[in-house]
Amino acid sequence: MISLWGALAGGAVGTILLTSGLRIAQEVGVTRMDIPLLLGTLFTDRRGRASVIGYVLHFANGLLFALAYYGVFRAVGHAGWLFGAGLGVVHASLAGGALLTVLLPAVHPRMGTPWTDAEKAPLLEAPGFLLLNYGRRTALWTLVGHVVFGAIVGGFATGLY
Amino acid sequence: MERVDGYAPLRDYALIGDGRTGALVARDGSVDWLCLPDVDSPAVFARLLDAERGGSFRLEPVAPFEVERRYLEGSNVLETTFITAEGRVCVTDAMTLTDTRRLSPLRELVREVEALAGTVPLRWAFEPRFDFGRAQSRIERRAGRWIAQAGADAVVLGLWDAGDGELRNGGVTGELALAPGESALLSLAAANREPALIPGRRDTEARLESTKRFWPEWAGRLRYEGAWPDAVTRSALALKLLTFAPSGAIVAAPTSSLPEWIGGTRNWDYRFTWLRDACWTLDAMLRLGGHEEAHAFFWWLMHASRLTQPRLQILYRIDGSGHTEEQELDHFAGYRGSSPVRVGNGARDQVQLDVYGGVLEAIWLYGREVGRLDGDTGKEVGRIADYVVEHWRDKDNGIWEVRDEVTHYVQSKALCWVALDRACKLAAEGLIPDRAGRWRDAADEIKAWVEEHGWDEQLQSYVRAPDMRELDASLLTLAVLGYDSSRLRSTIAAVERDLREGPYVYRYRGGDGLTGEEGAFLTCSFWLVDALARTGRLDDANALMEELVGLANDVGLYSEEIDPRTGEFLGNFPQGLTHLALINAAVTIADVEAQGTERAA
Repeated sequence: MISLWGALAGGAVGTILLTSGLRIAQEVGVTRMDIPLLLGTLFTDRRGRASVIGYVLHFANGLLFALAYYGVFRAVGHAGWLFGAGLGVVHASLAGGALLTVLLPAVHPRMGTPWTDAEKAPLLEAPGFLLLNYGRRTALWTLVGHVVFGAIVGGFATGLY
Repeated sequence: MERVDGYAPLRDYALIGDGRTGALVARDGSVDWLCLPDVDSPAVFARLLDAERGGSFRLEPVAPFEVERRYLEGSNVLETTFITAEGRVCVTDAMTLTDTRRLSPLRELVREVEALAGTVPLRWAFEPRFDFGRAQSRIERRAGRWIAQAGADAVVLGLWDAGDGELRNGGVTGELALAPGESALLSLAAANREPALIPGRRDTEARLESTKRFWPEWAGRLRYEGAWPDAVTRSALALKLLTFAPSGAIVAAPTSSLPEWIGGTRNWDYRFTWLRDACWTLDAMLRLGGHEEAHAFFWWLMHASRLTQPRLQILYRIDGSGHTEEQELDHFAGYRGSSPVRVGNGARDQVQLDVYGGVLEAIWLYGREVGRLDGDTGKEVGRIADYVVEHWRDKDNGIWEVRDEVTHYVQSKALCWVALDRACKLAAEGLIPDRAGRWRDAADEIKAWVEEHGWDEQLQSYVRAPDMRELDASLLTLAVLGYDSSRLRSTIAAVERDLREGPYVYRYRGGDGLTGEEGAFLTCSFWLVDALARTGRLDDANALMEELVGLANDVGLYSEEIDPRTGEFLGNFPQGLTHLALINAAVTIADVEAQGTERAA
């Protein structure tokens, strides 16, 4: 039995854990990765406001990804925390290899890219490949965070069996 | 110009760039330094550090020639005119800005040749040496172009009316001769971890034209109404080239291992951002009206230091990361035999307490200008000030990054006072959490320590450290940064007496744990101008400034140091700190002349 509501609940819990985990990593000096700030500054250059907007957006993204996980679970007819964790690896690869490193800089009005030249003065440095610009251990924390997210979504989608 | 063993005098270089990387072009038309794709990437041309193995892109008349050159008005586009017995030909060198509306190369260096009079035969040689000559590179002719590649890097050589070129000794060489009115174009289009772009002539020329238009527009936005406007504008343009646009960071210089003394070992990689320079940077940008750049740099500053806060590392990579491991390139001879050649910078791990004064001053300047700091930023700043309270008693390596033993440098302590003083001011403005009582108590304690241990009655001056009873030109920053003391005038006089020779000022006379000599430090000369102006000696400041402006090279650039006996430039080039100090000194003089010493201080 694969539950949509279970997947969404897992998405909510998983996103909270993922965001909190990255925040802790920031506070203990492991990474400068700040997803709410990166997302929020799409709309404003005021840090406080950007963080609030960013948290909301990241939470919404978490639910959307939970829906995507649910779609995969239904398509293959299987779910569970282990399978979810595996999808988490794919999710982390997408986030670290494309979403945050290529797509976000391409659309972010305040972020530099390798093509940004002397004509512009962006406010945010780009994350770089595997987010390494934000600290060498950023990729590891991102991977762990997404694996935890995937495991929770997978587990919740099957009622934690 | 004459090369010595294949090396051009550092004075004979000009910098072109695009806000991501920069190339040094010698007076004889040779591009001897270019790192790709970014300013801190490995060099593809490094003839500057090894005349035989370094690689270059040469373009010069076949016959003996003389040279006139200049930057185009208000621009970072270089124009070199070669004059031979046969006639005159003009070469325009630029690194083009990206055309966001069309597919553009990741980086592009363009050399436009125009015959002005007569027919002047020219020869060119493209000799790329990827990864400082360590990478196995291959040059092939594909799609009608010469393409050099090594690993994930590639450079496409574009030639239009410049001959076809032929492969020779690991490079491509060719010749051209233009009749008056004719022009040729040579370009290097660089790719990194992406397919190489093969640009057409029309697109390349269009990018060159828009680049020519951009720079005067940017320079026209600067706000400065004082003496030496050309020197100030050129310094601002040089700083813009040292700014890494994708992140907002500013490198100390775009080069590595240019020696502080010919044949010496003081050869360091300056392609990093030193937080200490933050206050000079913000000050210069804000005083010239470069608000966008100041804003970007401030964000970079707070973001880059996030991992180590409240402790601040003294230098960071331009992408914000902190790994700057130092290594030596043993296969390079070094500029005129000055080895070792180093990449990376081991000074990162040093403790330098003066950094906190520079950073808090920068935050104060920014906060005062903008009128607000975000809540998180304010809390971070408060924690940095708390850190100063807890650590100002520590020994450190000092502003000059002495690799000897750590000690209690007086300038470091005084800048800790500056840090806490600015924190109190920020708190008074409501920009950061208010722990001013604690910060003010510690500042008073620091001041008492400086006055008791840092002052020498016999010298009538502050000294380098309690156990180093000698002068140190960095003490001039106490006057520049508003350290509150009635002893500054006599300290300035003592620095002049012991460390000044004409317009030149040495950093110190004592040891620093390294062997060999070094030249006079140009930044210190400009600090002296600033300090003189702020302490009421305006005529002396003006006179010294006049002399210093005359020390620039033919295109208005300065290196880090200078040999007072020969006027030869030494150290990395061009040096951001020197240009920052020039701008700030000129603006201080203008402010003092307009408003009096109180306002300028």
